[in-house]
Amino acid sequence: MGKNLPGYFGEFGGRYSPEILTEALEELESTYQKLKKSKKFKKELEYYLRNYVGRPSPLTYAERLTKHWGGARIWLKREDLNHTGAHKINNAIGQALIARFMGKKRIIAETGAGQHGLATATVGAMFGMETVVYMGAVDVQRQNLNAKKIEMLGAKILPVTAGEATLKEATSEAMRDWALNVSTTHYIVGSAIGPHPFPTIVRDLQAVIGKEAKSQFKKENKKLPSAIVACVGGGSNAIGMFHAFLKDKQVAIYGAEAGGLGPKPGEHSATLTYGKTGFLHGTKTLIIQDEFGQIVPAHSVSAGLDYPGVGPEHAFLSQTGRVDYRMVTDEQALDCFLEVSRIEGIIPALETAHAFHVARDVARDLGKKKDLIICLSGRGDKDVTEVLRLLGERSK
Amino acid sequence: MSKIKSLFDSAKFKSAFIPYFTLGDPNYNDSIEFGKTILDNGADILELGIPFSDPVADGPVIQRAVARSLKNSFSFDEIFRVTKAIHDHKPETPLVYLTYFNPIYHCGITKFLDRAKESGIVGLVIPDLPFDTAESETLFRELKVRDMDLIHLVTPASEKKRIQALAKTSSGFIYYVTSFGVTGERREFSLDLKERIRFLKETIQLPICAGFGISTPDQANQISQYADGIIIGSAIQRIIEENGSDRSKVVSALADYISKIRTSIS
Ligand SMILES: Cc1ncc(COP(=O)(O)O)c(C=O)c1O
Repeated sequence: MGKNLPGYFGEFGGRYSPEILTEALEELESTYQKLKKSKKFKKELEYYLRNYVGRPSPLTYAERLTKHWGGARIWLKREDLNHTGAHKINNAIGQALIARFMGKKRIIAETGAGQHGLATATVGAMFGMETVVYMGAVDVQRQNLNAKKIEMLGAKILPVTAGEATLKEATSEAMRDWALNVSTTHYIVGSAIGPHPFPTIVRDLQAVIGKEAKSQFKKENKKLPSAIVACVGGGSNAIGMFHAFLKDKQVAIYGAEAGGLGPKPGEHSATLTYGKTGFLHGTKTLIIQDEFGQIVPAHSVSAGLDYPGVGPEHAFLSQTGRVDYRMVTDEQALDCFLEVSRIEGIIPALETAHAFHVARDVARDLGKKKDLIICLSGRGDKDVTEVLRLLGERSK
Repeated sequence: MSKIKSLFDSAKFKSAFIPYFTLGDPNYNDSIEFGKTILDNGADILELGIPFSDPVADGPVIQRAVARSLKNSFSFDEIFRVTKAIHDHKPETPLVYLTYFNPIYHCGITKFLDRAKESGIVGLVIPDLPFDTAESETLFRELKVRDMDLIHLVTPASEKKRIQALAKTSSGFIYYVTSFGVTGERREFSLDLKERIRFLKETIQLPICAGFGISTPDQANQISQYADGIIIGSAIQRIIEENGSDRSKVVSALADYISKIRTSIS
C-alpha cells in the first residue's frame, strides 16, 4: 500500500492500525472489491435498502423554512425517515452483508449518539448475528433511549468508562475487541473513519444519499442545486451527500462541524478548523491534539459529533478547498433544533441541527431563486430528553 | 553495528529478558528509580513507554498506566530527561522506546530521533505504524543513519508474504505478538507458538522475542526454550499500579519480580 494507491485521499487516509488487524483489513478490502462488481451483492443491497430501510428517502421542499429564512429555496434530503431514524442504517446493512459474505457470525460497533449502535443492533437482529455495541458511559446516559433500544434488539451494550467515556474511547475499545476476535467478527465501523478500506466502504455505502438527492432534484427542477450542506462528525452522512456533487463545480458544498462551547481546546469538536495532521484509530487525518501529539478530548452538545478526528476524505476536501467547513456552536445548534421543529414540523437530530445553522447563513447569502439541499441526517427523538435538560439549564 | 545486534551476537543469555514500563507512572522521578531497579536486577534490554492518550494496542493495565502518567503534565523534555537518567545508570543496557506514532510525528521525526539518541535510546517499537507505509520507510532510513533499530511486530495472523516483506525494513529483533488481542496477562498460549516462532526464525534472520501476555516465571521459562527473548509489560505495570503510592515498596517488589524472571530464563 504505497502513498498514491487507493486508501489515500491526497496525503490523508492509509492504514495505521495494529499489525494483528492487517490480515482482516486485507480480506475486507479484497472481498469488497469483488462484491462491488457483483450483481448479486448489488441486488441484495438494493433489496434491503428499498424494503427494509425505506429508500429512496424523499426530497422535501421546506416551504415554511424557506419563507422564514428569506433566502434560497430549502430542500431536505430525508434520511430521518429511514428505518431506525438516520443515515447510519445504509452503512450498517451494507457492511452486515459484507460480513455475512465473509462468513463472520459476530458483528461489533462503536457508537456515540447511539444511532450507529441502533442501526447495527437492528441489522444484527434481522440477519441473526451476535451483536456487541461499545458506547461511552457518558453517552449511555445522554442517549439513553437509544441505549435501551439497542438492548431491546438483543444486542449487548458494553459501556466504556476510560478517558472521557465518549465516542473516541468506544472506538478504541471496539478496535481492541476486533483484535481479539478478528477471525469470527466483523467490525462495522460507523463513520467514514478508520484504517483503509473503511473510509472508502462507508463512503460508497452512504453515496446513495447524494445520488438520490441529485436525481430527485434534477427531475423536479431540471438543474442542479446551488449548494448542499451536511453535518460532519466522522463524516459519513456528509461524504455520502457530497460524493455525487464533488465534480459539479457549480454546486457549492458546506460541512457543519461542532464548535461546541468555544474555541478553547476541549470545548469543541471542530477538527477541520482546529485539527492538525496526525494518526488516530488507524488513519492519517486532521485531529484535535495538543503540542505533544496527545489527543485532546472533544466536546459537542451532540454525541454524534463528539469526536476529535474526522474522516480522511474530509481532511482532503478541506485542504483542497472543495468543501467549506464551518463551525456551529452548541447554542446555535440548539436554537436551530427548536426553530426547525416549530417552523417545519420536523424535529431534527442535534447533529443535523448544526447543518441547519450553516444552511441558514448560506441560504441568505445565496438569496432567492437559488436552491439549497440539506442532508437531514437523522431525527431528533433520541435528543428530546437531553434538549429539555439543556433548556432547563438555559432558563436558570 | 547496532547495540541490540551486538548484544544478541554476544549472547550472554539463553533468552533475553526485555521488561517494559510506562514513563511517568505515577510520576517522572519515580520512573527513574523503577528503571534503575529493573536494570540492576537483570534486564537485557529495557522498553520505556512514552504515554499516548489513545493506546489501541494495549489492554486495561497499560491503559490505566498511561492515563495515570498523563495526569502529570506531559512533555518530551521530561521523557528525555528521565530516559537519560536511566541510561546513565547502566549505559551498556540497550534502551528502546515503545510508543504510538502520533507523538513522534508531531515532535518531528528527525528532531525526535536526535533527542532520543542523545538520551540513550537505540531502537523503537511502534504498534500502530505498519511497515508498509511511507512513514515507516522514512523512519527506518532515519534510524539507520543513526545506528538505531526499528523493531516491527509480527502476529499469529501475519502471512508469510508479509513477514518476508517486513524483513527488509526490520532490525534489532522481531517483536512476536504471542496471541490475538491486546497486551495483558494471560494464562495460556496458543499451542502452535513454538512452531510459529521456529517458522519466523527460518524466515527472518533476526532474533525473535515473544511478548503480549507473559507474566509468570514458569511461562517465561517455557517460552525461553525457543524464543530469543521474553518481553513482559503488563505484569510489571501491575506491580507499579498496586504499590505506586509507595516508591520503596514498588522498588523492592520490582527487584524481586525481575530477578525471578531473569533466573527462570537463564
Ligand atoms: C443523526 C446523525 N447525524 C450525524 C451523525 C454524525 O456522523 P457522521 O458524521 O458519520 O454522519 C450522527 C452520528 O451518530 C447522527 O446520529
